Amino acid sequence: MVSISLHNVCLDYPLYGAYDFSLKRRLLGHLIREPGETRIIRAIDNFTIEAEAGARIGLAGPNGSGKSTLLRLIAGVYPLSSGRVTVRGNVVPLLGLNAGVNLDFVAEDNIALLLRISGRKPIRSVIDDIWAFTELEPRMQRLPLRMFSSGMLMRVLFATATAFPADILLLDEWLSVVDEHFAEKAERRLQNLVSQAAIVIIASHDQQLLRRTCSSIITLDHGRIASTIAVEPPATLDLREKRA
Amino acid sequence: MNATSDSAHRPSVLHIFKIYYPDLFGGTLTVIRDICASLKETFTSAALVCSQAGKRCDTVGEVEVERVRSFGNVLSLPAAPSYPWRLWRRIPKHDLLALHAPFPLADLVFAFGFGRSRPLVVHWHADIVTHAGLRRFIEPLMRRTLRRAKAIIVSDRVLVDETPLLREFGDKCHVVPFGINTIAYDYPNIAPNHVNDRGRLVLACGRLVPYKGFDVLIRAAAGRQFEVWIIGEGSERPRLEQLVRDLGLGDRVRLIGSVKDCERIKLMCLADVFVMPSVTNAETFGLVQLEAMAAGRPVVNTALDTAVPRVARHGMEAITVPPGDAEKLGEAIDTLVNDPERRRRMGLAARMRAQTRYSAAAFKKGMETVYRDALTASCKEPSTAAAPQTTGWLDSVRIAAALAWSDMRHRYVRSLLGPFWMSLQMAIVVAVLGSVIGQMSNTDMLTRLPMLAVSMTAWTFLNGVVLDATTALQNSASLIRDRALPPVIFLLQCTFRQALFALHNACVPLVLWLALSRHDLSHTLAALPGLLLFVACTFALSLVLGATATRYRDLKPIIESTMMLAFLASPVIWSSDIINHRSTVMRLNPLTHLFAVWREPLAGASIDPGSIVYVLITLALLILASALTLVHLRKAAFWI
Repeated sequence: MVSISLHNVCLDYPLYGAYDFSLKRRLLGHLIREPGETRIIRAIDNFTIEAEAGARIGLAGPNGSGKSTLLRLIAGVYPLSSGRVTVRGNVVPLLGLNAGVNLDFVAEDNIALLLRISGRKPIRSVIDDIWAFTELEPRMQRLPLRMFSSGMLMRVLFATATAFPADILLLDEWLSVVDEHFAEKAERRLQNLVSQAAIVIIASHDQQLLRRTCSSIITLDHGRIASTIAVEPPATLDLREKRA
Repeated sequence: MNATSDSAHRPSVLHIFKIYYPDLFGGTLTVIRDICASLKETFTSAALVCSQAGKRCDTVGEVEVERVRSFGNVLSLPAAPSYPWRLWRRIPKHDLLALHAPFPLADLVFAFGFGRSRPLVVHWHADIVTHAGLRRFIEPLMRRTLRRAKAIIVSDRVLVDETPLLREFGDKCHVVPFGINTIAYDYPNIAPNHVNDRGRLVLACGRLVPYKGFDVLIRAAAGRQFEVWIIGEGSERPRLEQLVRDLGLGDRVRLIGSVKDCERIKLMCLADVFVMPSVTNAETFGLVQLEAMAAGRPVVNTALDTAVPRVARHGMEAITVPPGDAEKLGEAIDTLVNDPERRRRMGLAARMRAQTRYSAAAFKKGMETVYRDALTASCKEPSTAAAPQTTGWLDSVRIAAALAWSDMRHRYVRSLLGPFWMSLQMAIVVAVLGSVIGQMSNTDMLTRLPMLAVSMTAWTFLNGVVLDATTALQNSASLIRDRALPPVIFLLQCTFRQALFALHNACVPLVLWLALSRHDLSHTLAALPGLLLFVACTFALSLVLGATATRYRDLKPIIESTMMLAFLASPVIWSSDIINHRSTVMRLNPLTHLFAVWREPLAGASIDPGSIVYVLITLALLILASALTLVHLRKAAFWI
């Protein structure tokens, strides 16, 4: 049973300034009795959410409202300050595409390494499938990524990141980075991936995307839930898609 | 025949507690026995307990009991060092685990993540009250146990509200009040409403331990008329006897000791007033007062923050007095002793409440539901929930290895020699140093060269790992934050990467060894354990320094200069016999010993036992520090 349950979750994010990174300063601060105050902001404030299999949750909100932080919290990057998080299922966080990329390596090796990082065995057929999706010439597999244009690079990374279905998919504002020609195909693949995953949480500024993909949209403001909107059933979504 | 085939598909429950019959009698044990007895049609029961007698296995009633040898009690806990191990071995043989808390020995097993394969139900009998100072250490363990429990069973709602730890898991708590079979208390000659006009017999029952408050009862009896009989045995007995003698109550207060169940029931039916003088919240329910209620006796109990005053309520089935107040307790008993009519009324009410609110049938149904739900919930849960947890470590190591391998391949990109450039450099360093030292010490440098090369390789490894670790987390910030990889991977990656480089470098000493010395492989084998210690220490050191250097950025230059100093102050390029005397600095320097444990056997000499001890202590300290670091490493995402 795949599920995510966050119960009154708070996350205090320490903002380390230049001085906070200094051990000498800290020790001296103790000696001269001037305790260095680390500034702490409450990045997630009393957040409660229950998601069962089938949930498609969109996170909206202005920059710095805590969307990415919330996704990272669910992925287990940050330890929560209070509350309870229970995540059942295999979480695949796709928050940044370039994580782990080495531009000096040829595309093929990069794909293999990225697959290894996500705990998969890089088999020839898998790499070929990924390459087929990118629609790039086969001989380019043997070129270092440094020679790729940014659009081509995105294709490779996107294809690799979305190659495998996941139980719980955490996506952070990254469809926009794909170039226009590829966008349509990428979105179809994403929709496909979303339809295979049990739970999807997407953080995005693109309201249209969220409405097309999600069953409910949570708007965040300063780490708090400002509003939760349930999106109409997919019948209307299809129409919208055709119009678009 | 039927029974055996039946037991084959009956789920098996393992009850985990510190002790079982016949080593002790008491409320908790009665509950366990009642659970086993009432669920015997649907579950087979077994128990794993401790015993000083050290008897291994036997059957008590229907319950198969395995006993673990204990060497007496320390702070109310059996000292049974092998208990966690035996528990871990037993877990796979059962379908459901029922932990009767508090029992920190078992928490040790669950808190460290063992026994995840089976669903766990926690029976919360009491909080830790008697040794409250221990709470700080045990609470984190208990919290982890409760976190993985499928259900927590308490006897009354008030326990959830009053126990902070349980409030955290409020949605897992199930209230199942204990039940009692009132028919057993229909004593033939004495009807429940029987009231003795003389009305002087006050009964109390329980283990003779401090929290039961029997001393209060004895003091309450001083200067009054009633007689007090106390059933039970325990460590407080000499103290209570002394108290009885001091107060001169020998003729009215009797410590009866342990009696058989049927005798106890008879005494309950004979008594005029039943008293439960417990003084701390360790008394959560008071099963004996429920028994007295079933026997139709009025109760005097104490106003604890537990279910005690809620089972028998003040003014209805009981008179509730402040705990530890001998005067009020005596008054309350006297009130009942002097008022036969009130005793009869309260006794009947008590029996009625025991029959309706605390029936054995309701208890059985409640238990069965919780056990069944726990079993089915764990069946529904796919094994994937458990699998990533167990393979997590292996995955981390694999990813670290893949990253390290790719780092090494990176060196070969656009370079034919790759890391062998470093080996070449190493060869030059060894040649130059060798000739210089040869000049200084007038010894035959040629035979020393292989050892010098090996030492330099090892030093390069250690230095590289530590220096890489100081920046590893910052360099992998995106993988930590965007792919949610555990930070420890990248510290492990440093060790792996430098180990690969060290293998490249190792060709220099290998060539020298082949060329210059007698080829004796047995020395090499003898050096392997020491080398392993060396690598383990290096990794632990890099873990600690890597994490702290990420948190405190000004540490990096300090570490760099310290490593330089350590290189000069340690016998890496020179050996201790060149200097000819062992200075204090050298003896205190852990690196001296860290090199000695593998270099001495490699040279064919024997290791100084002091060095081994020194290295082992260093390793132990480093492992301790690493464990602490791993706890704090969860916060690494904030630092990068």
